[in-house]
Amino acid sequence: MEIAYFLGCIMNNRYPGIEKATRILFDKLDIELKDMEGASCCPAPGVFGSFDQTTWATIAARNLAIAEEMGAEIMTECNGCFGSLRECDHLLKENPAKKDEINAILAETTDKQFKGETKVRHFAEILYNDVGLDKLSEMFTKDLGINVAVHYGCHFLKPTAEVGIEESAENPTILDELVEITGAKSVPYKNKMMCCGAGGGLRARDIDVTLSYTKEKLDAMAEAGVDAIVEVCPFCHLQFDVGQTEVNAKYGTDFAFPVMHLAQLYGLAMGLSADELTFDAQLIDAAPVLEKIE
Amino acid sequence: MSVLDTLKSLIGRANKDIEENLSKEAESVEEAADAIQTSSEEEIETKSDSETISEEEAAEEVAEAEEEVEAEEAPVEEEAVEEAVEEVPEEEVSLDNAEESIDDKLSEDEAPEEAVEVAVEEEASEENEESDNMTLLKENDIYSMDDIDKEFTQKFVDAGIETVDHCFQCGTCGGGCPSGRRTPYRVRQIVRKCLLGLREEVVSDPALWMCTTCYTCQERCPRSVKIVDIIKMARNEAAKAGYMADAHKATGSFVIKTGHGVPINDKTKALRADIGLPELPPTVHAFPEALEEVQKICAACEFDKLIGFNMETGELE
Repeated sequence: MEIAYFLGCIMNNRYPGIEKATRILFDKLDIELKDMEGASCCPAPGVFGSFDQTTWATIAARNLAIAEEMGAEIMTECNGCFGSLRECDHLLKENPAKKDEINAILAETTDKQFKGETKVRHFAEILYNDVGLDKLSEMFTKDLGINVAVHYGCHFLKPTAEVGIEESAENPTILDELVEITGAKSVPYKNKMMCCGAGGGLRARDIDVTLSYTKEKLDAMAEAGVDAIVEVCPFCHLQFDVGQTEVNAKYGTDFAFPVMHLAQLYGLAMGLSADELTFDAQLIDAAPVLEKIE
Repeated sequence: MSVLDTLKSLIGRANKDIEENLSKEAESVEEAADAIQTSSEEEIETKSDSETISEEEAAEEVAEAEEEVEAEEAPVEEEAVEEAVEEVPEEEVSLDNAEESIDDKLSEDEAPEEAVEVAVEEEASEENEESDNMTLLKENDIYSMDDIDKEFTQKFVDAGIETVDHCFQCGTCGGGCPSGRRTPYRVRQIVRKCLLGLREEVVSDPALWMCTTCYTCQERCPRSVKIVDIIKMARNEAAKAGYMADAHKATGSFVIKTGHGVPINDKTKALRADIGLPELPPTVHAFPEALEEVQKICAACEFDKLIGFNMETGELE
């Protein structure tokens, strides 16, 4: 099996441990991750999608065209990239006039065309549906035994009518199941399906509103008593990591939940070191949870 | 014309009369004051001309004269204002008469009296803020056809979001909206305004940017309205109209400059090298010709102009 590996921005340019763990995991699973050479920002749905649909769709279509040329499905580990690429793919497949308009711009500026021959898929969904929990479990050498707050984020499953992952948007279990095969326990908490607050360009435009979201989530996690936060989106990752310190500064709180992308959690379960997973690049110290694992 | 409108126009006319009377009074007061000032100034000048006095003495006299003017001015003003104020109640009486006459007309026509009562109460509340009036509608909440831009609504339909027309204003969207809980963002209201074509109100509202695109509203909408698509399309129109945050322009400029919304930095380059990944990921960062393509797309779509990015200098203007 071959997959066109879409990196995006935040994972590879801020938290490379997520990328590293993913490459190692897929190597073990014998799935080839092929680099999408010259791929760009998805581009950011909150800024480009909100500013100019045509620019957004053309840049996204260029990324999709790279995967089409490779003859492979796209995998992304970021809810934002997933949302952006999937939405563009859907838009151009549904709307022939828009597709022609975008292809005309692509013809003028690149040697690429959008044909509608690839499929945009999320890392977690590929692991769940194509690999399966049983095979995944075989990759793990450590029983993690920690309590975690699973954060789904927004653009992984929603809007369900378009995304097409067979899962409930209100009460899903896909991520919890993926987490619990590591021996970690997914603890229920209030407003589990709520947004982290960073999306839609809000973090850039009004950080106070974003932080009030994040604080609401963190308060609920504290009440539930968890050791760490697990998510499947580097932007949520950034918001829970950097944003957590910002919440503490603004509200005088002392939240200290280490943040892990599912790939990093799997890295720990595979016995990778904290250094390889670049936990040291994160603002919230992961040491307490790492000690608990060992 | 509806009964309510007739009533409003009559009241409006009466208010206008009061205003005109007041401003006339004010003008006459000013005229009177001017006349006094002019006469005393003339007096001073006459004195200075006829008698040869020292500059000091002249200055003293000017000061005295000015005091005189001030003393004379004040009572005149007060009197005039009092007169003007006295006239107002008379106008109010005629206003009441107008209302009564409409009232009579209404009962003759067997029109619903409740509506009239509400309207009269509205006026009463303006005079007495402590009244128990329950309506939140104010005079400026009323829209006219000038506020409506049907092309604005058509943009949503043309973009494939014809579901904007399916909304029956149940409020499920706002009920689950995490931004609605903490900001003035009212998603149901925005959808309604988009359907009505209230372009200016929609695009100029900063709350439009409080949506994180979490899709909770869209997911729960019993009419399957593509709410998030509506919000993003409305933002596209707001961006064209110049309502863009500098921080958003900056993110946009990163993509034009580097191809990434969050470009690499030295710290992450070192981190990548440490764990055995190439310093630069195999994205536009490692392929300059790929970056050029992204920049050409931005130029072809005039995204640079939209955010005020100067392609020559490589900076935001």
